[in-house]
Amino acid sequence: MEIKEDEYRVWLEDKDIYFDGSMRLPSTEAYAPIFSLVMSVLETDPDRMTIDLTGLRFLNSSGINLLAKLTIEARKRPNTQFTVRGSSEYPWQSKSLPNLKKLHRGVDLRLT
Amino acid sequence: MSESNIQRPRFGLRSFRAKFVLVVGSAVLFDLLVTGGLALWNVQRLSRDATTEVGQGLQKANEDYMLTYAESTAARVDLLIGQVHADVATLAGVLQAQIDRPVRRSEIGEALTRQAPESVTVAYDPKGGWAQNLPGPLSSVSVWGYLLGPDHRPLPEVQTDIENSAVLDLVAPALLAHGRSKLQMYYVGPKERPILRMAPYANQAQTFDRLYPGHNEANFWNFFFPGLYQSWEGWAKDPSLRPVAADTTQTAPYTDAATGKLIVSFFQPLWTRDRKGVAGAAGTDITLDQLAEVVESVKVGGSGFGFLAMSDGNVLAINGVGEKVIGLQRSSETGSEGVTGLNRSLRQSVQPAIAQLPLGGDGAIQRVLLDEDGEKVPYLILLKQLEPENFWVSGPVRRETMSLGIVVPEREIYASLFAAQAGISEAANRILIYQALALLASLLFVITAVFGISKRVTRGISALAGAATRIEAKDYSVRVPISTRDEVGEAGIAFNRMAEEISYHTENLENLVTERTKQLEDANHQISALNTQLRSENLRLGAELAVARQIQMMVLPKAGELEEISEVEIAAYMRPADEVGGDYYDVLRDGERLKIGIGDVTGHGLESGVLMLMVQSVARALQEAGDMDPSQFLNRVNRAIYKNIVRTNTNKHLSLAFLDYDGARLTLSGQHEELIVVRNLGNVERIDTLDLGLPIGLEPDISPFVATRDISFGRGDMIVLHTDGVTEAENRNGELFGIERLCESARRCYGRSAEDVKTGIIDDLMAHIGTQKIHDDITLVVMRHR
Repeated sequence: MEIKEDEYRVWLEDKDIYFDGSMRLPSTEAYAPIFSLVMSVLETDPDRMTIDLTGLRFLNSSGINLLAKLTIEARKRPNTQFTVRGSSEYPWQSKSLPNLKKLHRGVDLRLT
Repeated sequence: MSESNIQRPRFGLRSFRAKFVLVVGSAVLFDLLVTGGLALWNVQRLSRDATTEVGQGLQKANEDYMLTYAESTAARVDLLIGQVHADVATLAGVLQAQIDRPVRRSEIGEALTRQAPESVTVAYDPKGGWAQNLPGPLSSVSVWGYLLGPDHRPLPEVQTDIENSAVLDLVAPALLAHGRSKLQMYYVGPKERPILRMAPYANQAQTFDRLYPGHNEANFWNFFFPGLYQSWEGWAKDPSLRPVAADTTQTAPYTDAATGKLIVSFFQPLWTRDRKGVAGAAGTDITLDQLAEVVESVKVGGSGFGFLAMSDGNVLAINGVGEKVIGLQRSSETGSEGVTGLNRSLRQSVQPAIAQLPLGGDGAIQRVLLDEDGEKVPYLILLKQLEPENFWVSGPVRRETMSLGIVVPEREIYASLFAAQAGISEAANRILIYQALALLASLLFVITAVFGISKRVTRGISALAGAATRIEAKDYSVRVPISTRDEVGEAGIAFNRMAEEISYHTENLENLVTERTKQLEDANHQISALNTQLRSENLRLGAELAVARQIQMMVLPKAGELEEISEVEIAAYMRPADEVGGDYYDVLRDGERLKIGIGDVTGHGLESGVLMLMVQSVARALQEAGDMDPSQFLNRVNRAIYKNIVRTNTNKHLSLAFLDYDGARLTLSGQHEELIVVRNLGNVERIDTLDLGLPIGLEPDISPFVATRDISFGRGDMIVLHTDGVTEAENRNGELFGIERLCESARRCYGRSAEDVKTGIIDDLMAHIGTQKIHDDITLVVMRHR
């Protein structure tokens, strides 16, 4: 499964969801397809799942809101090992990703 | 309607067909002319080369042939003369032997006298005054009157000579019978007693009487051969005086006294025993015919002939035709003395070219023009010299080299050459004619073919052109016949289809227009209705947004409010990305306490704007509720907002931070962008707010995460607050403005008023953005300690 636009690409490999490019979608509603994509994995109550953001150069605040919502959803499923991989190379990631850990202590946040 | 109705010239000068024919015809013509021309040129060159080659070869062969022929003929003449020389030498040898051995001579003489007395017995002829033996023996012997005694009998020493010379009877018949045919062989005694003994027997004295009257009175030698005997006497004294190193002497042709024929005599002198004087001579005669036979048998080409000429130009032998050709004039004059000769010299020729012909060249071919019936005809003359001879004409013996001439008309000697050249020329001409005919035939064929094909090729195009003209004249019923499957055929099919469509459209235009008009009217009604609907909706939305924006801007702190603050100078800038932004800032003043808030609602637009309004209202309300711990304050704001977000089912949250200042302490709480503090000397400090809170509206209770941090804020210190619209603004290369550029800009502006700093930073930011789209709301707040 894959969502692809000129600026960015989001795709699913088994239980790993990869984000790539630069996302500036205008509102939270615009991020709905991506939310659905992640939820489709989460709703299967998998043992583990990963959100890989190492290729995502930029995410606007609506996108960060999406990540927060997803983290809160993951929090409701303690049986799923929820991993977020990011890169401190991009300022927005070091600024926003630690909040996910605050929202859900069980998040395995890996900033490289 | 049929095709024939099309009024259009089918083969005008400007027609496609004419051009087609012209182009193809020209190409073929050019090709034919080039190949044909090349072929013709080559044939001509070949023929020229062949003619030259063959000509040179044949000319050389012909000249060689002429030379070889002349040489072989000259050899034959030399051979003939040589044989005669040999015969004379044999006879002379026998006679010389008699002279050299007188005893034997007399013995032989006596023996012969006994054997054949009639050979040595002469009878006096009273009429002629000489004595001669009677007919019967093998030789006749004549004794001239001056050699007779008074008794008309030979003087005794003469009689001895008569007897001695009888040896001739033994030798001469054999010599006459063999070798070259000779008229006669003879012995003439020394000038003291010049008897003449000749074999075979002839009435020679009678002939002499008839031809040479007076001979009986004069000495034989002086009468017939003046100078000859004297020359021999000279040779006897000094053999080196001989013009040619041989004793044999040849005379010029003369009329033979005995036979009356033109003859040539060959003498060999006899010597006295002591070799100091002349003792008579042996001789033989051959007819000139024999020489002439060899020369006249020359046959070169059709009418070539030979001649034998002496060095003075006198021609000894030539055939009658040749004589005429080279214009000889025969003049047989009786000489003043000696034997009568023959005189027909080249020098007296009526042909000037012959009269001046140089005789010296041996083996050279000379080209002369001879006059024949008033026409100049070219002849080739080759002269070949014979062996030199001792030669007597009259007077002393001299050296003579005769020349053999070969005369051939040039056209005959070169007949084969001319024939070959004519053959080549004829062949070349034939090829030329055939080539030209072939060229013409192919040209004719190609032109016919091109003309024919052009009709086929252009028929379709002509038909199309004609049909198009008729369409132009609004005859839409026209169709072209499709006769070929090529591009023209395809064009025809397309044309027919187009014509059909034009016809259909033209005929149904009215119906179509009516139908379309109705459709358009309907559509127009719908569009008008929709437009009205949209316009009112837009108006409504626009009005709503305008109201929200107005309210949002209304609640921002006013400039006057800010100026009232005594200790802190504050300047702020807000620029929403859309009509209504999602950024928030506020300066709440309650007595001496200042609360400065900055936040950023996710997204922008009406919803974000409204959420921002809520935050402002809640913050204002809480501020008014009295002194409160900053953490508690932030928690309460979150609870209020969270509940409202849940109620309004809004998918938004916001970052929010507050700065509390009571005139001494500055306390920072809440999570937002980094805080920038610039102190004295441009010292820039970045304060991270990540651990001071959590985004508002995500969780019902954020108290576990909220913390505060005290920041020293003294005189001259400057604090810059911003939203991510500043740091995340992109230039055209996609490069973010970034926190470092913001810090650098703030440092550079440090020292100026808050308003100037704000303007300076915004200028730097706008310079970075350039003409790029602004994605997010931009808010900047500058606080400066007065």
